[in-house]
Amino acid sequence: MSNLSVKPFSSFARRTAKWVFDSLPSMELKKGKVLNGIKWAGQHISSPQNRVILGATALMSQPFIDLYNKRVDEETRKVSAARTTAKIIAGTTTGFLVRYYAIKAVEKFTQNPIKAEKAIESFFFPKGIAHTTVKGLQQHKFTIGTFLSLGIMLFTNFAIDAPLTKYLTNHFVKRINEHEKNKLDKEIAKPVLSLNAEKNNLVNNSMTSSYIPRVSIEKFKNGKGAE
Amino acid sequence: MSKAKAALSIWDKIYAKYQTDAGKMLIHTGTIGWIMSSMAQIAAIMMNDKVSKEQKMFLIPQEFMDACVNILSFYFVTRSFTGIADKLAKTGKWIPSDVKNHLIKNGFKDLIGKFDFNILKDVKLKGAPLRSFELHKNGLGLIATTIGSIISCNIITPILRNRYAAERQQTNIARMNNPSPSIQNPQTPRDRAKAAIHHTYMQAFMNRGNLKV
Repeated sequence: MSNLSVKPFSSFARRTAKWVFDSLPSMELKKGKVLNGIKWAGQHISSPQNRVILGATALMSQPFIDLYNKRVDEETRKVSAARTTAKIIAGTTTGFLVRYYAIKAVEKFTQNPIKAEKAIESFFFPKGIAHTTVKGLQQHKFTIGTFLSLGIMLFTNFAIDAPLTKYLTNHFVKRINEHEKNKLDKEIAKPVLSLNAEKNNLVNNSMTSSYIPRVSIEKFKNGKGAE
Repeated sequence: MSKAKAALSIWDKIYAKYQTDAGKMLIHTGTIGWIMSSMAQIAAIMMNDKVSKEQKMFLIPQEFMDACVNILSFYFVTRSFTGIADKLAKTGKWIPSDVKNHLIKNGFKDLIGKFDFNILKDVKLKGAPLRSFELHKNGLGLIATTIGSIISCNIITPILRNRYAAERQQTNIARMNNPSPSIQNPQTPRDRAKAAIHHTYMQAFMNRGNLKV
């Protein structure tokens, strides 16, 4: 019964997808920057570079998503954005380095058996494949290196990522609080400065508006007001 | 089969599967990476002596649910992007001019860009056109995977995660402020057990911080 009800739907969905796809215009990529760019990306970009791209774009989006999350209070937003930023920096740095060096290590052990001096140097080489290509082998090294890096990251997640994230989060939260304290101090000082300037203008008309007396913010904060 | 032979066959399979499909490799390794990262988070809670058994009963399923949302979002969104790019390349919808000319010469003009056409299966490409097509397909897959990952990991997941965490926060605060009378003044052994669970739950919530980031 379930098959009977699903089949017409999947057939309808397929026909719709086919109709939409066939209606779209085709695109021929002539030799130029776009085609070369696509081919270059396929050959040279792998998991380490992908991790950096993801990290950079994450820094441009995630902290702001957290900061503008109206569902939580301001303090939570700040801590959340600080932790997100810390996590991205720690994760991207570790992720990139581990992947990069894992691929480098794999390259040394993926040599052609004919050229390799020791058997271990061709350990990862796909010996059962009749025809390997240079580009295929490069991709093979990227893949094995990335899988290897995943194993290494089981340890780095605990040993590096977690403590680094904690340290950076605390650092960022401290900096945010300092920044806000300074901002608050300036805001408190502003009305006092204008009040003093007004008062001095009344007392001595010969004084110019450029004269701004020194104000003790501490005294104002302690409830003693401006001098 | 000896151990050495078994190891060799793994490398052969990996070569055959990913040699021209960087995008697929990134999705598979990315998903495994997400699973392992989540497992590390869960293991960290399990091995943390400062967290009580009762707190672990709450934190571990929560972490598991969080991980599921992240992994599913990454896998399905990114996979959709890679699938579309793969379809565009395989059907010839987006194709390099040298490959297109080769297809026209061999009588496939009317099939180029059609939904059911598959260059890899229907056409026996060889030499330069094959290399050009493979490079193009590989690059297109990789770019699509990267864009898909950016959208899922950097936009969809944080929005869903924040929404979920905020709802949890509100529910927990409401529970903390208005516990039921049986929890406030437990009379029976059952109420006392409920009160203990409530206390543990609230402690776990307070210790954990408000948002999962």
